[in-house]
Amino acid sequence: MFTLKDLRPGQKACVGSIAVEGLMRRKLMDMGVTPGVEIQVNKTAPFGDPIEVRLRGYSLSLRKKDAENILMVQ
Amino acid sequence: MEMKYKIALAGNPNSGKTTLFNCLTGSNLYVGNWPGVTVEKKEGNLRNTKKDITLVDLPGIYSLAPYSMDEIVSRNFLLDERPDLIINIIDASNIERNLYLSTQLMELNCPMVGALNMMDVVKKTGVEIDVGEMEKIFGYPFIEISAQKETGINELIKLVEKTLDIKKLKNFPPIFAPEIMSVFNEFDNLIGNKYPEVLPNYPHLFRAIKLIEKDEEVLLKIYENIDLLQDIDLARKKIEAIAHHDVDSAIADYRYRFITEGITRATKKTKNNAIQFQEKLDKVLMNRYAALPIFFFFMFVIYYVSITLVGEITIGGIEWFINDVLMVAVEMSLGSLGAAGWIIALINDGIITGVGAVLTFIPQLVVLFIFISILEDSGYMARVAFIMDRIFRHFGLSGKSFIPMVVGLGCSVPGIMATRTLENERERKLTAVLTPFISCGAKMPIYVLMASVFFAQYQTVLVFSLYLVSLTVVFGSGFILSKTWFKGADSGYLLEIPPLRLPKLKNTATQVWQRIKEFIVRAGTIIFAASVVLWFLQSYDLSFQMTQTPDESILAMFGKIIAPIFVPLGFGNWIASVALLTGITAKEMIISTMSVLLSGQDGSFTLAISQVFTPVSAYSFVIFILLASPCMAAIATMKKELGNWRDFSFALAYQLGLAYGVAFVIYQVGSRVFV
Repeated sequence: MFTLKDLRPGQKACVGSIAVEGLMRRKLMDMGVTPGVEIQVNKTAPFGDPIEVRLRGYSLSLRKKDAENILMVQ
Repeated sequence: MEMKYKIALAGNPNSGKTTLFNCLTGSNLYVGNWPGVTVEKKEGNLRNTKKDITLVDLPGIYSLAPYSMDEIVSRNFLLDERPDLIINIIDASNIERNLYLSTQLMELNCPMVGALNMMDVVKKTGVEIDVGEMEKIFGYPFIEISAQKETGINELIKLVEKTLDIKKLKNFPPIFAPEIMSVFNEFDNLIGNKYPEVLPNYPHLFRAIKLIEKDEEVLLKIYENIDLLQDIDLARKKIEAIAHHDVDSAIADYRYRFITEGITRATKKTKNNAIQFQEKLDKVLMNRYAALPIFFFFMFVIYYVSITLVGEITIGGIEWFINDVLMVAVEMSLGSLGAAGWIIALINDGIITGVGAVLTFIPQLVVLFIFISILEDSGYMARVAFIMDRIFRHFGLSGKSFIPMVVGLGCSVPGIMATRTLENERERKLTAVLTPFISCGAKMPIYVLMASVFFAQYQTVLVFSLYLVSLTVVFGSGFILSKTWFKGADSGYLLEIPPLRLPKLKNTATQVWQRIKEFIVRAGTIIFAASVVLWFLQSYDLSFQMTQTPDESILAMFGKIIAPIFVPLGFGNWIASVALLTGITAKEMIISTMSVLLSGQDGSFTLAISQVFTPVSAYSFVIFILLASPCMAAIATMKKELGNWRDFSFALAYQLGLAYGVAFVIYQVGSRVFV
């Protein structure tokens, strides 16, 4: 079991499920982070956090503590 | 009778909505390349049409769920005002995520037209979109446009007219699986029969889905109806059983699956062209080690160029024109007409001096605004928010708080308004209170003046030090206030990073002109009038006799009453006190006031100022101006965004108290160190 946080820049994987409740969960879904979608990590910010990922043809940035709640599958 | 139509422009943040609005109405609203430029809805009349159509530009939204204030504005408009048609603008270069909102708009039972924007970019990357196929799949007509290149605009207007003429609304295709749809329909029937009082005016499918999703705004409207909540949970269980997912994922998943299938059918990739230059530039700007130095370098260049370089070139010339050409001409021509001495003095020492003091700095402000506008248009702002998030988080803010602050460099009013894009109420209010600490353009002339009089060799350093003070205050206050007055959880951070784009000259020009226009209008109105009043107040005493020295004037008497407050800060003289008071109307009034008040004295303005201030008290004075509450317009905006008197009074007290405290320390320490 690994999460989006574990991916290094350049690596990609598919979303399995989102392990967080409430507002953040629904925001993530609205932004296209739904089960099955492929996400590639683009880069990390200068201070190591947040990260920038690419999905559904656009770039999204999120914090590592939220990325940790996105469970991935190969 | 002619029909009046009201149509809405809805789409994702950063999808080109405002640019399209400007094309469609001929107005000149400003557009930036960061999500959330439009924070209030704006209206205009559609041009090139015989129909009477009002177009409403709504703040950009990612979905119809109410997360931030601007999203609530858009959603409430669509639900409560029931527009006759929605123009759904879609950034075709980011079509998948943009169509997500479309699948929700399709549930509002409102005629819709899809504008596929940025087609010029899409075509360059080698993608073709079959518009006819899109209509078949999504159930409403689409058209390819480029708002920036102004192509497809007339065709869009014709399509809007045609769609308005169709009286019967077509059904939108189902997005969900038949089993799910039957749960929705069943639930909708239940609402209609058992709870007819629940949101009767909402479109049915929308109502059913939002209730089942337990949307917060909708739940507020059903007043804890226990029976209904149980029925909702029942429906949720049914959906979870069918989809094998929880309700949120299931609904989002169906929408995205519908979209992905749709665009696979309707789009074709003919070539494989990536936009390489932008990607390379992005790599450099966002390099882990170089990103921060590059950012600070940009900021330094901006201030060096606009304050020092441009100032050196222009200020001398403008002052020469005002003092040696304009005033001499006024004196000569009015004198030869036999005008009274006081009229010439009013015009020269009052109006020209007061208004001129502001106009002198226009070239520097133009350059400053050009830079800020380029930062906004290029997409660099979202990147800086990304870089800064980690730092801002330590101070109770998020990277998104950075955007209002950069906008606040130009003017605090749009800066404070831009805080609406922050979802979290605590972070939003905190950012609104801190944004005025970022020095606005109108305060710059005072710094430049003081710097040139007292710190001639170190002008840029001095002005830059002020920005460092303001950053320190922002972070320090954020740290303290987020643990005290604005305590609470953070909302998390999720920010779209738009592609880097070359700023469009037309857009930059529009924005700079709009911002400068405000200065010029204010110079011609408030500052003009205030200069006249100030001149009279400082030229006459209480018995309405012309005074020999301004020291005996009405204004001086008044100024002397409040001056003692500022004695501990080093500028307890009536001129500085009056200038600070008039500065509440607009910050550039401070410099106008001082020019008017000191123009009657012997010698040059510079000499006069150096008699009123010492270098230390001048620095304490500018620090006080930098930190004290902003002008009336910004104070009113702050009240509006904070919403309640409690937070508002606190904010004012905090800003004034802090300004007084910091200026006090600087003067008391400074005057002992530099005797």
